[in-house]
Amino acid sequence: MLTFIGLGLWNERSVTVEGREALRVADRVFAEFYTSRLAGTTVEALEAHHGADIEVRDRAGVEQDPSAILDAAEDGEIAFCTAGDTMISTTHVDLRVRAAERSIDTRVIHGVTAQSAASSLTGLQNYRFGKAVTLPFEYAHGAEGTPQSVIDGIEANRERGLHTLVYLDIKVAGSSPAGPAEGESDEYMTADHAAAALARDWDEDAVGVAVARAGSPEPVVAADALGVLGEREFGEPLHMLVIPGELHHLEAEALATLAGCPRDVLPSFE
Amino acid sequence: MGRRKKIVQECEELMDEPEQIRNIAIAAHVDHGKTTLTDNLLAGAGMIADADEATQLVMDTEEDEQERGITIDAANVSMTHEYEDENHLINLIDTPGHVDFGGDVTRAMRAVDGALVVVDAVEGAMPQTETVVRQALREGVKPALFINKVDRLISELQEGPEEMQQRLQDVIADVNELIRGMTEEMDDIEEDWTVSVEEGTVGFGSALYKWGVSLPSMQRTGMSFGDIIELEQDHKRQELHERTPLSDVVLDMVAEHFPNPLKAQPFRVPRIWRGDDESDIAEDMRTVNRDGDIVFMATDIGMDPHAGEIVTGRVFSGTLEKGQELYVSGTAGKNRVQSVGIYMGGEREELDRGVPAGNVAAVTGLKDAIAGSTVSDKEMTPFESIEHISEPVITKSVEAKSMDDLPKLIKTLQQVAKEDPTIRVEINEDTGEHLISGQGELHLEVITQRIQKNQGIPVQTGEPIVVYREQPQEASREVEGVSPNRHNKFYITVEPMADDIVETIQRGEASMSMPELERREALQDAGMDKDTSQNVEHIHGTNILIDDTKGIQHLNETMELVIEGLEEALDDGPLAAEPVQGALLRLHDARLHEDTIHRGPAQVIPAVRDAVHRALIDGEVRLLEPIQDVRIDVPSEHMGNASGEIQGRRGRVDDMYQEGDLMVIEGIAPVEEMIGFSSDIRSATEGRASWNTENAGFRVLVDNLQREKIMEIRERKGMKLELPQSIDYI
Ligand SMILES: Nc1nc2c(ncn2[C@@H]2O[C@H](COP(=O)(O)OP(=O)(O)O)[C@@H](O)[C@H]2O)c(=O)[nH]1
Ligand SMILES: [Mg+2]
Repeated sequence: MLTFIGLGLWNERSVTVEGREALRVADRVFAEFYTSRLAGTTVEALEAHHGADIEVRDRAGVEQDPSAILDAAEDGEIAFCTAGDTMISTTHVDLRVRAAERSIDTRVIHGVTAQSAASSLTGLQNYRFGKAVTLPFEYAHGAEGTPQSVIDGIEANRERGLHTLVYLDIKVAGSSPAGPAEGESDEYMTADHAAAALARDWDEDAVGVAVARAGSPEPVVAADALGVLGEREFGEPLHMLVIPGELHHLEAEALATLAGCPRDVLPSFE
Repeated sequence: MGRRKKIVQECEELMDEPEQIRNIAIAAHVDHGKTTLTDNLLAGAGMIADADEATQLVMDTEEDEQERGITIDAANVSMTHEYEDENHLINLIDTPGHVDFGGDVTRAMRAVDGALVVVDAVEGAMPQTETVVRQALREGVKPALFINKVDRLISELQEGPEEMQQRLQDVIADVNELIRGMTEEMDDIEEDWTVSVEEGTVGFGSALYKWGVSLPSMQRTGMSFGDIIELEQDHKRQELHERTPLSDVVLDMVAEHFPNPLKAQPFRVPRIWRGDDESDIAEDMRTVNRDGDIVFMATDIGMDPHAGEIVTGRVFSGTLEKGQELYVSGTAGKNRVQSVGIYMGGEREELDRGVPAGNVAAVTGLKDAIAGSTVSDKEMTPFESIEHISEPVITKSVEAKSMDDLPKLIKTLQQVAKEDPTIRVEINEDTGEHLISGQGELHLEVITQRIQKNQGIPVQTGEPIVVYREQPQEASREVEGVSPNRHNKFYITVEPMADDIVETIQRGEASMSMPELERREALQDAGMDKDTSQNVEHIHGTNILIDDTKGIQHLNETMELVIEGLEEALDDGPLAAEPVQGALLRLHDARLHEDTIHRGPAQVIPAVRDAVHRALIDGEVRLLEPIQDVRIDVPSEHMGNASGEIQGRRGRVDDMYQEGDLMVIEGIAPVEEMIGFSSDIRSATEGRASWNTENAGFRVLVDNLQREKIMEIRERKGMKLELPQSIDYI
């Protein structure tokens, strides 16, 4: 049995009760933190809290060589964990399909994911989000500036009045040829970096909402013109950025009240 | 005023008069007399002291100048020459004689407008003569002929006037056949470029004894052929020299028959530069505009113990001046010109006033330039790439014998690579075992000797290793490449590319740096169909990627990564990690993940790399080895042994014929087997053979050696000693 467990957003306590129980009974626990990570804790603290040894796999250990995980799952209770939810944005459906192909039973235990935090912290309605995009580090996507597809994605959403969740790139040390090397510190794109990039390559007057440390006791949510957000600082990782589309009046009210948005930059708030 | 100052002034005045400038090269087979002739011209023009007539220089030069004055082994020299009451500035760029240095020759040719072809009267036109003449004509450089060592015909071979004339005629006919063959297809060259005695484009004489004649000179001096034979027979060479000095004859010919920059640049620029001919830069170059944008082509990098690196080249447009910030093609950022000068004799003279278009300049401060670089004040299309002419075929490791020399060796190797782009150098600071790759065993020997002798660094070299290639032999089926996360897929086929297209790329006539329309046309001319030529996405080495996909979302921004994966796969082929050549790859379809992060480098590069390798294997990729044309000249009694030396090396003898009193053997042999040929042929023929090799591209290695050779290379490289199972055809 292979159980996919979403660990939630912040620390060892962000997992659901169901997830915690599944961790407790697992024979072996695998995890990957190259797509995202729990910013409020460490692997050691996780292990101590759940009383489990966690075998952290790198990208190659999941994508190229998943057999260690699958072999173990063939005759044991195996847990595979990621931050957030294992199937949203991180897309480990491939591993689940491979398991199914080998007739291994699988189960998914959901975790709270950035997608839901983006909606619940900003007050922007989840019905009104369009396609999400990821803004990669300049060096990581093989071209200069902001990839056109990111801008196209935001604009296509806005044409239909929809909001866009912009995931921000994470480069775990040693996990990618272009990123920081093994032993160096991980790199996390910050919301101000992303806002500045979009202000430069797209529209500095458009409104953005920075969300920092979602899931922690003290998340920061700040809305303003991208050009202004690009000048600010939002502290420790992880961050994300939301680009609102058309604003329902209550959404605008929420951005002004809960995210400190100056009213004059909100187009539909006369 | 000192003599040197006077000459500087003279040169400076001429520099501003493009009508009076001639930029030339001397092209010759080894030992036909290029160096001797150059010394002679310099001495004749009064630029250096001559051993016999050192007086004039000694009289009014300072001591240290005298000392420096004799170092005329420099690559580049300039001289002044008065012809028909007009003074001329003649810039001579040296070209190496051995064909192993083909890249150098081409580069030098690009900077000059006239080539003086020197042929030994006794030996006649040799294969290397042919090669250099070809190179000159290809660059749009006008030839003239000097037949050297005529003294030997008279004094040694005791030939009479008829015999001699016949021999000279034969040389002229050989050279003209070449010129006619090459220029017939060049519609930009309207004049007849064949050489003739009547026109005055042929001279003959003796560089050693410093006399020379041409039809115009004979008319002027009133000397007949008979007079010359008589004087030479009587060894009255000093008299001959005085009555008809070689340098006058040759320099008159240069001034009269070679085009000046104003005349040459309009037709040469379109031939050697692929940029937009409607642009301002094109116009500036055509008109030799000294006030235009700066365009300078580096032909040579030298080292001066005081000034450091000296970049020599031709100013095609604008005026080079100290303090300018200039782009160097192929590098980012700019270099600041520290000094600009011209050559006087073999000396460099810095000029604060700068050097205008049409001249050969010596520049310091261009630290990123290599031989062949285009240097300009605006970013521009560089002069055609020149590397293609001679790709390295052989590699040797070089190690310093003493640890103390390590840093110096690295610096020297880097210098060597800058001076000669046909050399590749791979520095390995960890092991100290550096690799140099070049045109042949001899080429590498010369380079290592230069390091040992000139730089005084004792080095240890490894066994020479031949460079191989891999090429598909047939069209593959469509292969699917899947990214590690399985969210991205690429559908690729590969097929062998037609030879004509490969050659077009090798000659630099189709490249990604030229305007798309021009590239399309060049490829279509080489036989590529229209649709394919419109979809060319990338050219890497002699391989082309065609994008046959239609309207795939996000493919645009993923293409960079596709190309990265492709290049990795082609640089290290599937058989033995040798470079792939002559492969036409098509991308038919792709499935991409919605989000950039899931189609990043870690996903796309391995997917494409893997697909390209599997497509190559499905296309029956085979190992190719470099081969050489071999020519041996040998007395007939040694002919059997000599031809045996070719046949015994997996070679093939194609032709044997008599030439003079020698037999000529022509054939081909693999470069690998030619290692050690030099000493073997000597012992096989009691040292009586002279020989010559020229790289002749790559050929599929015979089937029964494929597996063995592949394994040998894999072992040397520390690769797995088993081939992928799909390679079941080798
Ligand atoms: N007899 C004779 N020997 C010559 C003449 N010109 C050059 N040589 C000799 O030929 C050899 C090669 O000459 P060199 O100038 O070094 O040829 P390069 O290799 O073309 O530069 C030298 O030994 C010269 O002395 C000539 O006109 N007559
Ligand atoms: Mg020489």
